[in-house]
Amino acid sequence: MHAELAVAPPVATPVRAERSPGTVVARLSARRAARSGAVWGLIFGLTIASSEVSYTRIYTTRAERDALAAAYGSNKATSALFGPAPQLQTVGGFTVFKISMTLMILGAVWGLLTSTRLLRGEEDSGRWDLLLTGQTTRRSATAQALAGLGAGAGTLWLLTAVIAVLSGRGSKVGIAAGPSLYLALALVTTAVMFLAVGTLTSQLAETRRQAASYAAIFLGVSYALRMIADAGVGLHALIWASPLGWVEELQPITAPQPLALLPIIALTAVLAAVAVHLAGIRDVGAGIVAGRSHSHPHLALLSGPTGLAIRLLRATIMAWWVAIAAAALLYGLIAKSAGATISGSSVREVFAKLGAPGTGTDAVLGVCFLVLAVLVAFVGAGQITAACAEESGGRLDHMLVRPVSRASWLSGRLVVAVTVLVLSGVGAGIFAWLGAASQHSSVGFTTLLGAGVNLVPPAIAILGIGVLAFGIRPRTTSVVVYGLLGWSFLVVIVGGIGAANHWVLDTSVFHHMASAPAVSPDWEANGIMTGIGVASALVGGLAFWRRDLQGE
Amino acid sequence: MATAIRMEGLTKRYGDVVALDHLDLEVARGEVVGYLGPNGAGKTTTIRLLLGLSRPTEGRGEIFGLDCQLQPVEVHRRLAFVPGEANLWPSLTGGETLALLGRVHGHVDEAYRDELIDRFDLDPTKKVRAYSMGNRQKIILVAALMVRPDLLLLDEPTNGLDPLMEQAFRHCIGEARGRGQTVFLSSHILSEVEALCDRVGILREGRLVEIGTLAEMRHLSALSVEATFDGAVPHLSGVPGVRSVETSGRVVRCQVRGSIHPLLRALADADVTELVSREPSLEELFLALYGGGGGEGRAR
Repeated sequence: MHAELAVAPPVATPVRAERSPGTVVARLSARRAARSGAVWGLIFGLTIASSEVSYTRIYTTRAERDALAAAYGSNKATSALFGPAPQLQTVGGFTVFKISMTLMILGAVWGLLTSTRLLRGEEDSGRWDLLLTGQTTRRSATAQALAGLGAGAGTLWLLTAVIAVLSGRGSKVGIAAGPSLYLALALVTTAVMFLAVGTLTSQLAETRRQAASYAAIFLGVSYALRMIADAGVGLHALIWASPLGWVEELQPITAPQPLALLPIIALTAVLAAVAVHLAGIRDVGAGIVAGRSHSHPHLALLSGPTGLAIRLLRATIMAWWVAIAAAALLYGLIAKSAGATISGSSVREVFAKLGAPGTGTDAVLGVCFLVLAVLVAFVGAGQITAACAEESGGRLDHMLVRPVSRASWLSGRLVVAVTVLVLSGVGAGIFAWLGAASQHSSVGFTTLLGAGVNLVPPAIAILGIGVLAFGIRPRTTSVVVYGLLGWSFLVVIVGGIGAANHWVLDTSVFHHMASAPAVSPDWEANGIMTGIGVASALVGGLAFWRRDLQGE
Repeated sequence: MATAIRMEGLTKRYGDVVALDHLDLEVARGEVVGYLGPNGAGKTTTIRLLLGLSRPTEGRGEIFGLDCQLQPVEVHRRLAFVPGEANLWPSLTGGETLALLGRVHGHVDEAYRDELIDRFDLDPTKKVRAYSMGNRQKIILVAALMVRPDLLLLDEPTNGLDPLMEQAFRHCIGEARGRGQTVFLSSHILSEVEALCDRVGILREGRLVEIGTLAEMRHLSALSVEATFDGAVPHLSGVPGVRSVETSGRVVRCQVRGSIHPLLRALADADVTELVSREPSLEELFLALYGGGGGEGRAR
């Protein structure tokens, strides 16, 4: 018997045609960049709004505003840190001075992290290969990704601008829509430049971390040049050598100078064009700066999971340590001359509101050490997100299927992290002292060493809370630690000058840190913060022990 | 014989999804056991529970009498694991990775390691980033084999290996068996399982549906028979136990379940010039079990 084989006629299956396959990469990048751009736009906008509102509430009389202007108007220390403060008698001038440097740097960090994630990160993961097998070329895909990043920056600007305009319309604030839009534009320009910087470094480097590091070095140099230019040491022309300086020269609200947009646009265009060109001449997966594919074995640190952590993180740790030490040295160098410009009781009052009472070098360093505290906390946050990445990348499995317990792995990582934090704090203290001593400042070594150690407890709190997130919901670790860090900094910067609600202030890890060396470290508060960190880490460690590991 | 692996009612649920459903399974020391199932049947889940990387919802697993969840470090001293995906540290070289993993394990047969590096044709000075997927897999294989563990837990270990290296792998597993090591091999490559394993367990939607030697499992599928005739081709479709009859010219192919006697009687009257019968391969057994579709997407 013959088997009956009925052959069905071919059925025309309707295939949905992609309307514009040539823009898939652009749309994909735009969606991802716009999502984070929206979050940061909200943060930028609310920061502007809270600064404007708090100013109008706190500085209600002419006398108070004049006192503020006298304190900061010619203060080279705050000028070096946060940029010049030309019109502190007005809400607009105050807001620009108060928030612009912080938001410019946050915008730059957002730009470099987003662009390296969406370009080199995608390439690292192999997803870029899939996209390139579609109807596109390497150059076109890079150009499209840039367009997508541009949409992300557009979203960042839009939300910042909408909130800034709404806040400016408040009866007491009274900033017109035009200046508010221009302020939002100025704040977003650093993000735009660093999106382009990150796109270029994604072509140069072979890994995402390397690409982000190159871009971060560029940011660090830009900040240092701008700082020297604003420090009142006769080098103001250097402002034009720094991309952050150009943004400062836009002078939103106080004395708008749209011409400063020209170098910003030119740099962005050149970087973007070079990045697109390089994308076409290199192999996918490789960088222009070729990494070594072979190496002699270096086994000294590879004795166990903790040694491995040191080996993997040593370059990043060293880079942070050098950045912290360099910043501390710079602050030490400028502290005395900057402190000399502070005088009068009104000034003392303003500095006291920032948590650094008194006058002179101590007070200036007290404010400077807040910035160092943020840097040290960044190191803590980076340590726990690196541990988290070991797990999500599937590499932790290789340790835990061998005779290594979860507890010993995690505690080893935390010992490394805390050691790095202590070394960072001590380094900050020593280098600030070296800078200050070279200027024959009277601040003592032990005082500054104490001020350095004082930076560690907030970072331990952030590290511990990061372990908690890692133990309970590992995917949220990065959002929790960097979110808490950003929030804590914004709360002290925006709330520090005014009487913000104490519940809000209490949520900031930096609020509880005494502004040493302006005042003595508050060891009791430090003990509580360290305790919060340790307790969170213990609970997080227990949760980590109980849960499933997230293999890739 | 002493037990290497024992699972009792091992169950893993992710919310409403049951990844592994009351699994009872024992593996004797020195045995090589294959573990089969389609994607999502729960193979990797089983292995991650045995390794203590995941926590069971119910039940327990033991390796060499040690509880997998409560004594993971002691358990891990006696085993080595090879995952199907080699996510290693990109900045380390192959040699550094082997040194690290060996030191973490605590005991390495260095001569055997060097031999394995040769056999798998590895360049240990190369950075992991520069290795192909297959070469990264080789590193993981060498790292597991070089510690000469009592138990090898292998989860699709030959992913990305070329046929020559696949052969080298089979040779190594043969050696391990010769040394009395226990092997638990989860694989998609049925010929590999057929060639290496003493027993095979088949998992479907989180449940163990079959376990036994290949000979014991033959009953799962039919005997394949192919007959060539000189004269008229007889009608075989009505013969008891005979199914899937296909005729092509003077050749008839069919499957026989149960006794072959009725078919032989039917053929006796016909003019048969050639008769070939063949036992089902593991692939045919597997397909017979999964004819109705697998449990795609149920678990990792």
